[in-house]
Amino acid sequence: MEKRTVDLSLLDGVLAEYASVKGSLITILQHTQDIYGYLPKEAIELISEKTGIATSEIMGVGTFYTQFRFEPVGKYLIMLCQGTACHVNSSELILQTIKDELHIEDGQTTEDGLFSLKCVACLGCCSLSPVMMINEDTYGSLTPDKTKKILKELREAAV
Amino acid sequence: MINLTINGKAIQAPEGSTILEAARANGIDIPTLCYDKAVEIYGACGLCVVEAEGIPKLLRSCSAKCTEGMVVNTESDRVVQSRKIAMELLMSAHDGDCVAPCQLNCPARTDCQGYVGLIANGEYDAALKLIKNKIPLPASIGRVCPHPCEKACRRKNVEEPINIAQLKAFAANIDLDKDDSYLPECQESSGKKVAIIGGGPAGLTAAYYLTIMGHEVTVYDMMEKMGGMLRYGIPQYRLPKEVLDKEIAIIEKAGVKLVNNVKLGKDFTIESLKAENDAVIVAVGAWKSSSMRTPGEDLEGVYGGIDFLRAVIKGNPPEIGERVAICGGGNTAMDACRTAVRLGAKEVYVIYRRTRNEMPADKLEIDEAEEEGVIYKFLTNPISFNGEDGKLKSVTLQIMELGEPDASGRRKPVPVEGKTEEIALDSVILAIGQKLVQGDVSELKLNERGNIEADPDFFTTSIDGVFAIGDATNRGASIAIEAIGEADRCAKAVDAYLNGQKLDTRVPYISKRDESTIDYSDRKEQSRINPKVLPADVRNKNFDEVSLGFTEEEAQAEASRCLECGCREYYKCKLLNVAQRYDIDPSRFKGEIPQKYTHDENAFIERNTSKCILCGLCVRSCREVMDIHAIGLMGRGFKTDVSPAFSLPLDQTKCNNCGLCVQLCPTGSLTEKANLKKQVPLDEQYTEEFVDINGTQASVLVSRYNGKVLRVIPNDEVSRNANLSREELQAKLQ
Amino acid sequence: MRIVIGQGSCGIAAGAEKVRSALLKQNISAPISITGCIGMCYLEPIVDIYDDDKLVRLVKVSESDAPAIADYIRTGDREKISALIVTDEDSEFLSKQTRIALRNCGIINPEKIEEYIAKDGYTALRSCLTEKTPEEVIDVIKTSGLAGRGGAGFPTWFKWNAARQSEGEEKYLICNADEGDPGAFMDRAVIESDPHNLIEGMLIGAYAIGAKHAVVYVRAEYPLAIKRLKNALEQAREKGIIGNNIFGTDFSCDFMIKAGAGAFVCGEETALIESLEGHRGMPRLKPPFPAQSGFWRKPSNINNVETFANVAWIINNGGEAFAAMGTEGSKGTKVFAVTGKVKRSGLVEIPMGKTLRDVIFDIGGGMKTDKPFKAVQMGGPSGGCIPADLIDTVIDYKALGATGAIMGSGGMVVMDESTCMVGMAKFFLDFTAKESCGKCIHCRIGTKRMLEMLERITKGEGKEGDIELLEELCYSIKDGALCGLGQTAPNPVLTTIKYFRDEYEAHIKDKKCPAGECSDLIEYTINADKCRGCTLCARNCPVNAITGAVKQPHVIDTDKCIKCGKCYSVCRFDAVIKA
Repeated sequence: MEKRTVDLSLLDGVLAEYASVKGSLITILQHTQDIYGYLPKEAIELISEKTGIATSEIMGVGTFYTQFRFEPVGKYLIMLCQGTACHVNSSELILQTIKDELHIEDGQTTEDGLFSLKCVACLGCCSLSPVMMINEDTYGSLTPDKTKKILKELREAAV
Repeated sequence: MINLTINGKAIQAPEGSTILEAARANGIDIPTLCYDKAVEIYGACGLCVVEAEGIPKLLRSCSAKCTEGMVVNTESDRVVQSRKIAMELLMSAHDGDCVAPCQLNCPARTDCQGYVGLIANGEYDAALKLIKNKIPLPASIGRVCPHPCEKACRRKNVEEPINIAQLKAFAANIDLDKDDSYLPECQESSGKKVAIIGGGPAGLTAAYYLTIMGHEVTVYDMMEKMGGMLRYGIPQYRLPKEVLDKEIAIIEKAGVKLVNNVKLGKDFTIESLKAENDAVIVAVGAWKSSSMRTPGEDLEGVYGGIDFLRAVIKGNPPEIGERVAICGGGNTAMDACRTAVRLGAKEVYVIYRRTRNEMPADKLEIDEAEEEGVIYKFLTNPISFNGEDGKLKSVTLQIMELGEPDASGRRKPVPVEGKTEEIALDSVILAIGQKLVQGDVSELKLNERGNIEADPDFFTTSIDGVFAIGDATNRGASIAIEAIGEADRCAKAVDAYLNGQKLDTRVPYISKRDESTIDYSDRKEQSRINPKVLPADVRNKNFDEVSLGFTEEEAQAEASRCLECGCREYYKCKLLNVAQRYDIDPSRFKGEIPQKYTHDENAFIERNTSKCILCGLCVRSCREVMDIHAIGLMGRGFKTDVSPAFSLPLDQTKCNNCGLCVQLCPTGSLTEKANLKKQVPLDEQYTEEFVDINGTQASVLVSRYNGKVLRVIPNDEVSRNANLSREELQAKLQ
Repeated sequence: MRIVIGQGSCGIAAGAEKVRSALLKQNISAPISITGCIGMCYLEPIVDIYDDDKLVRLVKVSESDAPAIADYIRTGDREKISALIVTDEDSEFLSKQTRIALRNCGIINPEKIEEYIAKDGYTALRSCLTEKTPEEVIDVIKTSGLAGRGGAGFPTWFKWNAARQSEGEEKYLICNADEGDPGAFMDRAVIESDPHNLIEGMLIGAYAIGAKHAVVYVRAEYPLAIKRLKNALEQAREKGIIGNNIFGTDFSCDFMIKAGAGAFVCGEETALIESLEGHRGMPRLKPPFPAQSGFWRKPSNINNVETFANVAWIINNGGEAFAAMGTEGSKGTKVFAVTGKVKRSGLVEIPMGKTLRDVIFDIGGGMKTDKPFKAVQMGGPSGGCIPADLIDTVIDYKALGATGAIMGSGGMVVMDESTCMVGMAKFFLDFTAKESCGKCIHCRIGTKRMLEMLERITKGEGKEGDIELLEELCYSIKDGALCGLGQTAPNPVLTTIKYFRDEYEAHIKDKKCPAGECSDLIEYTINADKCRGCTLCARNCPVNAITGAVKQPHVIDTDKCIKCGKCYSVCRFDAVIKA
């Protein structure tokens, strides 16, 4: 894998605002992930230095919550809802379709770096189940064909 | 003060104290695996639950406060069920071996890993003591045992098992050669008398341990010398009788009274002994050769295997002639054929129904016999012994082939229709098994196999106060170590009986790893070492001991191959202690193991997360007491793990080796290395001592074994924060 | 005339934003604004056209309908939009409800405080601060009988009072908006659609317990809710409703939003507090309870969104008015998120005391397909499945609890005969096993082992005694787990065993899945009499397991078949048999 460089200066603002506010670790990590798309090791070390919270604690928190990632994600992050209504309306078929189309498992990113797949807790759009979110957009009433079409369009849009 | 009742006992507890504190202060033990007063209450393990009248939920006693008039039950059915399930769940996810498979497979549960490790470390005395906890005749057993331990040894998955039996003989030889061979201290005399009938391995073992426990023991035996089958069933070239004599002498020196040339049913009865003693153990063995029910067995020249061996050992060998056949494939058959060779027979055949691979005899014995000139007739079965004038002349053999596997999994030999072979013979030795002489024990109830019926766990018989062990009981003749194991457990049962108690000698629950998940790929191959033996053309002419035994160098090299499967924390594992308190069966919940076997170590501490039970004591103490935060809880749920950040090795954290985490770890997930080359699980004794650190008295815990300091562990704030290495701490000990 | 477009998350996901921009392009004279969630999620996107007070509601609107709508605005001619106008039947979905917590949802613009104030917003707070002592406020809540709507149903006044009584200057009022139950989304709807109602309820609560700090802990998966809540807080701050000396009184209270980071267990109040403090969301031992020692070890009170959403109404209308609705033990109304195989899915607020039938059949319109109603799942992973023959169960904490399910936060997932109940239990155990924090043994390992057993059963590897072992484990986990998540995790298993034991037995003994859902236990075959040889199934089979000549009956090679069900769904002649 190519070596990535992490521009730590991007964190200055977040750390200036929150580093000395107690109880802000999760907020800081959320901002960090917004900046980098994931939590780079270098950023965690800097957060530890500035907040005085040990890296073992930060990693403990980071690995506890499903929101946080430690590897960069693809251009499109597919979040497939695992809620009850989606389950009852066959979300399993949609998961299988995505896996078959993209050849990745839950938590993985396609080789071209375009798509990442993550199964997530209920998105609360139960009336539109089965549902997935891709980045900020929500797609509802999915069928395998509709799912394939959405992925195809996104792939074409990216080229 | 608050008044409350725990388990029916009225108790006063200070205001604000928890139920756990109140119970402990009054000698009531409530199990817990995540509570320690050094850190904040956590409530994870849920083992400390208790039931309180009027409160519908179970209470975690580590946090629930005592209230006035509270009525608490710490062992109600509901509480016990909750703890039992908790332990079953916990153990279903705990991937570790409490003890090594070699020890588990030894019928006497000898701590093989322990003595092998001590031998590797050059601690021969300590090794011998460990062996003698289970076997009073180790030099003999080391020579003759078919070593089930080695069958279980996991080193076989790398190349070959450790030569455990020979290492035992090695340690035992050193002790026997001393003027002051090891003798344990006997407990104070109990004033109780025990009579043991039979001076074989079973009888002698029971006698030895009961004597150490302070009882007055007499062994009665029908032969002129003690030793039973070890003496009269095993040839001199395998077990020199001088070795056996020395070991029996030690048993006698321990205080056992030995009486020979007296026979049950003639000189005394079980009842007569019972009248004079507080308990009787029947260990008469199985002294009759089994018949094959083949026509011609009554011919002159047909001998029973053990009868033949006994006659040779007693110095009056029968006339076997030049052409001898031995029927059977076990170790007695090997003893008989190799003895026949040594008596000068020219052609010695071993007749066996199956093939070499199915032979129950030890592989080394099979090979050595062949080297000495024995001829194997595999896949043959005698259908008649033919004679003239009542004297054997030949045997007719049915040719066999291997068919479908039978119940034992071995392929069953079936006759090949019409194919036979005849061999001219002078004598035949039937080595196919041995049986109890029933008339001797007519006072006791026998089972359908014709053996004494004895309880397999309590060893009791049809007569109260009479116990029975060894070849004469239940399933009949087996190997010596089996009899020794029974004798050891029986001694404990009899001791309990003499104290008016009943002791179940079943081995309590222990944790075992799933063999299929173990990875050996990182182990370097290192061949097994066997002791040198006399050349075949020398040894087949005399009865000198074939094996020359290990040299010290060989023994250490061989012992160093041990993979150390058993857990180092076995003797102080709180997890195991709680598990054994409840009748648990974790196999009900067999499933995925959350963490792989891992290994991380720095200079003093070793970590293995597969044994971790996530009590959090290490993480919490590192954070709350030491403020070091070297490790943390990572991930969540079933896959939660204790690890330094970014999965770094401990070495790259701020860990200052204070050792507090190891001290608090209730199991073997964190261990502290001892001053030993091979880290052997040992029943260490810890004492608190004080050292001077920069002018301050600091507390340390010192572990000693066999007079040697194994570990020095910081035990207070000063010693933990001193950042001293263990060597530096030890140097400060006076 | 004015146009209002429903822009809750559901509406936006269904395309409301696209409809809005299409309408904007039409250069219509009527103002176009937004509102939150109307609650008729199955009809989204929804466009409401107000002509003075007369409402024309258009449903399932798409971008292409924009010209027709523009035409209607200009000409008043309904013809072109007649197909979009909501039916009388669908209107009943709303008209049969009694809305208190949701009273402004789908009506006002959630991004404008003025619209909330126009609906008597913040009058309740003003009356509390200027006319009532905190004890009097607690008394009103006590009279109302309001109980925690997050699931447990604990009396709200009791918690407030305990926090009020706790010693200490610094206290916290916390809103649990970490709506994690899969299948429940009423809290999100309230925040997205009527954020000031929540803020007002919280401020009243803060006044009652004596807290100067209010915190909302909201799921990170709800970005729109966070955005609208932030906006609402800013507007309230500008108007002096938040901050120092509110309404000129000596009551001061600041507000803080904390976003959760994806952990269902943080709905448990002590775990939520741990998370607020920036730690792993692992529950603390109780006692001490948060009322004594909570956020930063200070007295804290935690209620959920829907609970707070009722408070202002109760103050304005009196505790008695609220208590007049409902049953002996359950007062007021409750919001349900009705989803699954039901015809009309969305948010339903009705008085306690109605029956499940009222919600599912009368309001929800019954089943979506022709398959019969089988069960309704209530209470999410902590709840259970209530079977068809208990459809007349009254909505009441006690009555629902007696079935083995719970009121819960209000998720109602309706299931028909095609849902496997063992599969349902497995689904929930998969959820709780993944969401278990890992602290206590019973939950960490127990839920995993239950899941493994259920997985074996649905694969046809179940064995005699599994049901009993599951039950034994269930009761033990209920007894031994540290927090509510673990203690209630067995409920989905216990209720499905209780009501659908025969389905478990069919999986274990006959290796059959009666619902035809467990792929390991079903087999696809083709009925040669019905097959017309159209080749559609063969062309769609991903593993080429179907063979046959054109116009000849086809055959499935069961060894090759991966049971994907594709042939079953594409066949137009019902010739593929699933058994």
